[in-house]
Amino acid sequence: MQDASVPATITIELPAALQPLAGNAMALPATGATVAEALADLGGSHPLLLSRILTRGGQLRPHVNLFINERDVRSADGLATVVRPGDTLLVVPSVAGG
Amino acid sequence: MSLEIRLEHIKRDIPLVSPTEALARCRTGAVLIDVREAEEIALGTPEAARALGRGYLEMRIGDEVPDTGQPVLLLCAATTRSLLAAADLRQLGYRNVAVVEGGFNRWKNEGLPYILPEAADADARQRYARQIILPELGPAGQALLGKARVVLVGAGGLGSPAALYLAAAGVGTLGLIDHDRVERSNLHRQVVHRDDRVGMDKTESARLTLEALNPTVRIRRHTLRLDAGNVEAVLADYDLVVDGSDNFATRYLVSDACQRLGLPNVYGAVQGFEGQVSVFPAGGQPCYRCLFAEPPPPELAPSCSEAGVLGVVPGIIGLLQALEVIKLITGIGEPLIGRLLLFDARRSSLRQVLLHADPECRYCAPGREFPGYADDPHFCHS
Ligand SMILES: [Zn+2]
Repeated sequence: MQDASVPATITIELPAALQPLAGNAMALPATGATVAEALADLGGSHPLLLSRILTRGGQLRPHVNLFINERDVRSADGLATVVRPGDTLLVVPSVAGG
Repeated sequence: MSLEIRLEHIKRDIPLVSPTEALARCRTGAVLIDVREAEEIALGTPEAARALGRGYLEMRIGDEVPDTGQPVLLLCAATTRSLLAAADLRQLGYRNVAVVEGGFNRWKNEGLPYILPEAADADARQRYARQIILPELGPAGQALLGKARVVLVGAGGLGSPAALYLAAAGVGTLGLIDHDRVERSNLHRQVVHRDDRVGMDKTESARLTLEALNPTVRIRRHTLRLDAGNVEAVLADYDLVVDGSDNFATRYLVSDACQRLGLPNVYGAVQGFEGQVSVFPAGGQPCYRCLFAEPPPPELAPSCSEAGVLGVVPGIIGLLQALEVIKLITGIGEPLIGRLLLFDARRSSLRQVLLHADPECRYCAPGREFPGYADDPHFCHS
């Protein structure tokens, strides 16, 4: 964890449902040392988008999952999970259609 | 006398022959008798074997083999039951009795020819020929499909392709749960239905299509909306659940009932150009609630009836569900347990992420008592 405080630029990949809140981008870059910091960076430019991922209290919404390089952040350190340059943060919300 | 000692005594009198030798003797006039139970024989038996269960052996052997000098070979799963049966035949006067050493297990392991018995009539042999010749499936896998009871929650966009391919593959019993009737706006994706069935119950429309495709499959209709009061009674008759529902309330209900009943839940969901697939294991972790602890608040959930979807997308996801069902039934490959497949039609990408088994999950964490069915509101008033 020696690089825990080093900000990294990562790619946040968005599901189609959230892309309209990101100027229809499929992915956005964000910078931070942890998932929380990268999301805060994202929220600086796209506050409405962030509100679909985190609650007002800053917790991950229970119907949303975040995966860093295919691993669920809940099985790591949650929003405190350290990110590294080039990481991909995948946002996966619950969908119900059939 | 203990069983072990008795078997040792019998072995002094009854010769053991290898499966290969037994096959050769069959070709020169020996009678091969399979003394296993019917459900064992259903998974395969040597082509030349006559099925004669242990229980009726003494009563029926006279008709099958009138000449007590005729060479007789006995086969069970291993060797024990054949030896006991051989001793009985000896007492009845059969002088030329031998036992196939290692039984059908060894017969199969040595790659000797075997067939599906009577259940696999000529129809089945033709119908499933091209999949039975797959070594991974074979007659035993086909028999497992034939015995399987699979229930589809929803005969819609996901359930249609899943039902078509599961029926075609020979899944013995298919249950269909849907309370809706066919609408014209369903037909771009719900391909088990047809234009001339608009207005018909979806379960009936699907039954007609599936029985036309494969008349040997048993279709059971459940024309109802699942709720906490009926879900267990409906699902308990099945071995495996395919969640192709179109609303969160039903998804949580189905997940919780599968946990309670110890049924695997093959999950699929779509929205727009995207889809998700996973398998939540029977009585294990993770479950649907580990993945999505709660449904989204109504203001963030798109209305199901208004949400757009390209018909091909549930087609692909429903077929991935059917594939997982076949894998679970037959034991082929690696089931999609603990993994979530994510399909994006616009990128033509299929990627997987690893699921987290929530150690605090109220529904699937080990040692938890079933907390009851949540009174989830309906998000879709379809
Ligand atoms: Zn769970």
